[in-house]
Amino acid sequence: MAVETDFSQDGKKLTIKVKGRFDFGKHQEFRDAYERQKYKPDSVVVDLKEATYLDSSALGMLLLLRDHAGGDDSDVRVVHANSDVRKILAISNFEKLFDIS
Amino acid sequence: MPAEHALTVLVAEDSAVDRLLLAQIVRRQGHHVFTAENGEQAVALFAEQRPQLVLLDALMPVMDGFEAARQIKALAGEALVPIIFLTSLSEEDALVRCLEAGGDDFMAKPYSAVILAAKIRAMDRLRRLQATVLEQRDQITRHHHHLLNEQRVAKAVFDKVAHSGCITAPNIRYLQSPYALFNGDLLLAAFTPAGDMHVLLGDFTGHGLPAAVGAMPLAEVFYGMTAKGYGLAQMLREMNAKLKRILPVDMFCCALLLNLSVQRGAVEVWNGGMPDGYRLSADGEVLGRLRSRHLPLGILAPERFDDSTEVLPMAAGERLLLLSDGVVDTADEHERLFGVERLREVLAANRDPAQLFDEVMQALARFGGSPRDDISLCDIRMFSGEDRVPAPTLYSDSGRSSPLDWALAFELRGESLKRFNPVPYLVQLLQEIHGLRPRTGALHNVLSELFSNALEHGVLGLDSQLKRDVQGFADYYEERARRLAALADGFVRIDLKVEPSGPGGRLTIEVRDSGAGFDVQRVLSRPSVEQELSGRGLHLVRRLGSHAEWCEGGRCARVRFDW
Amino acid sequence: MTDMHIDHKVLSDLQEVMEDGYLQLLDTFLEDSEQRLNQLHEAKSADELGMAAHSFKGSSSNMGAVGLSRLCQQLEERVKERPLYGIEDLINRIDQEYLEVKGFYRSERERVSAS
Repeated sequence: MAVETDFSQDGKKLTIKVKGRFDFGKHQEFRDAYERQKYKPDSVVVDLKEATYLDSSALGMLLLLRDHAGGDDSDVRVVHANSDVRKILAISNFEKLFDIS
Repeated sequence: MPAEHALTVLVAEDSAVDRLLLAQIVRRQGHHVFTAENGEQAVALFAEQRPQLVLLDALMPVMDGFEAARQIKALAGEALVPIIFLTSLSEEDALVRCLEAGGDDFMAKPYSAVILAAKIRAMDRLRRLQATVLEQRDQITRHHHHLLNEQRVAKAVFDKVAHSGCITAPNIRYLQSPYALFNGDLLLAAFTPAGDMHVLLGDFTGHGLPAAVGAMPLAEVFYGMTAKGYGLAQMLREMNAKLKRILPVDMFCCALLLNLSVQRGAVEVWNGGMPDGYRLSADGEVLGRLRSRHLPLGILAPERFDDSTEVLPMAAGERLLLLSDGVVDTADEHERLFGVERLREVLAANRDPAQLFDEVMQALARFGGSPRDDISLCDIRMFSGEDRVPAPTLYSDSGRSSPLDWALAFELRGESLKRFNPVPYLVQLLQEIHGLRPRTGALHNVLSELFSNALEHGVLGLDSQLKRDVQGFADYYEERARRLAALADGFVRIDLKVEPSGPGGRLTIEVRDSGAGFDVQRVLSRPSVEQELSGRGLHLVRRLGSHAEWCEGGRCARVRFDW
Repeated sequence: MTDMHIDHKVLSDLQEVMEDGYLQLLDTFLEDSEQRLNQLHEAKSADELGMAAHSFKGSSSNMGAVGLSRLCQQLEERVKERPLYGIEDLINRIDQEYLEVKGFYRSERERVSAS
């Protein structure tokens, strides 16, 4: 599966792992990952350790996730991004919206 | 056993006995049957009746089954008409011949009704599957043509919008690959009434229709507000708010917005999400970068939007190179990117500015990989004061006589000073006076200059001496932003008075601020060159108006326009 | 004797399938077979002979005349080899076989038209 989900023990943190190219092809899977959950988590972590590439539609998907998770009140983190992916996030200044590490 | 679907079946068999038997078997299964005695009759009957299934004897006189099968398949065209050969030929070769001639299956004699029913059912399933495929293909083709047409129309509208303005001004060179426009790359340029130039290089997410749809409101704001003399900050707020309102959550527009002011010898920059732009000397040396410091447009709500710009000095002849991400993101077959380093190498090696684009494109071609279809390059030269700038005309009234005896006071205090620039509104108001219309540019310049002086030097207390060099420039504007954000009280007041005078009239502008004033005599006695770049632009103001003076210890500037 | 000549299962299935057309079928076969025999005797080339045998083989097998069908198949295969020895003999045996079964089909025909 190119998009995997995982809930923490207490059900409050949802981790979404994206593998390979994070582009428009992953659109539906990514949405399902957070829309199809029974319980609304308090925080969401997007794990990009195995993501090789990110394009503008992926940025759009992150915005949709943030909007779904509460917009300005959301807690969405993007973790383990490799240097290429971080560069793309940096140019768009997405660290102003997401906690990126 | 009744058939699920009653078919029309053609039975071609030369033996009378077999023909009778077979027709009866098939009829009993619920189908309609036509019979033929030889291949020629079979083909003729097929053409006439267009049956859905054909049972064909292999060996027939006049025309044998193989030839008949070939002709029937040709007549059937795209549709699948299953042909079942009837044969008591036992050799493998003969059976192979059946299939090669276009047969889909064969039945041996003696005929078994049970086996025949099964074969007919199976063949009919295939037939209906083929029919479904063809129908869906046709549907898809229709939709596709429909979409292509919609895109064509959208592109035509988009081209008109995206290509008006002053993109053909002599100081701008640009290159856009054929599909760049329709891939969401936007390049707009327009002159302000004061003769400054605004340039926008934008990149919408998505391609084609979605990009085109977002681009139009943006272009409308850009051209409208630029023509009225609005500054970048206000335009950015308006553009961001509009896109935030109309675009879906996952769509946004990366943008690089510039304000080139030859009066001020500076360029004001806002970059949200676009690749670095480059500031180049007249002979191509990289002097600095225009970096992305903001989120793209259309993401943040108005109250969170950051409209702060960077101001950099720019002398006549210096250039800016802007590009879309299509250049740096071009990849070769190993998925390596062209990247910023290679681009810098091209810039460093360039000797003739006119060749820069070609050198970039050649470097991309040499790099290999597939050329991207969304490359935009833009080279802007800071024009000198002598470059003629066309005055924009926006008048739409009936030309009746204008009001000539009125006064207006406009006072901005405290918080309002932080975000509001009254100059465009006032200039618009003044355009009601026909006699002043030819001087719109001058009016705009004077009001802008006086207002910014009143705000920066008066209220905020900034020292214009700071703007001596590049670092000083940056420091000055950072300090300006800081002091403005911290501002609690203070005011700038603009008084306009219009009175008739002979056949024409006179406009008196007074701009007052709550600051400490300055030593008018001392500043005016400084050499004018020094003043233009870092002074209060006092000579400029004097030049543009009929009469200019400063009173109240430098806290009040008064300029007259006569016509 | 009819066991070696006629497959009765085929015939009864035939009657069931043909329903009211059974009589017509029997008539057609009897008429058709006379023509086939003439074709066999009057054939001018090996190919003609082969094709006539092939057709007769087909119709007789459909009618359950298994012996006849087998003989026709032998003839069809034999005419492919040169020289054509024993062809006359084979054709005669076909004549004989047909005479045997003709009687049966005729009485079958009588039986059906009576009921």
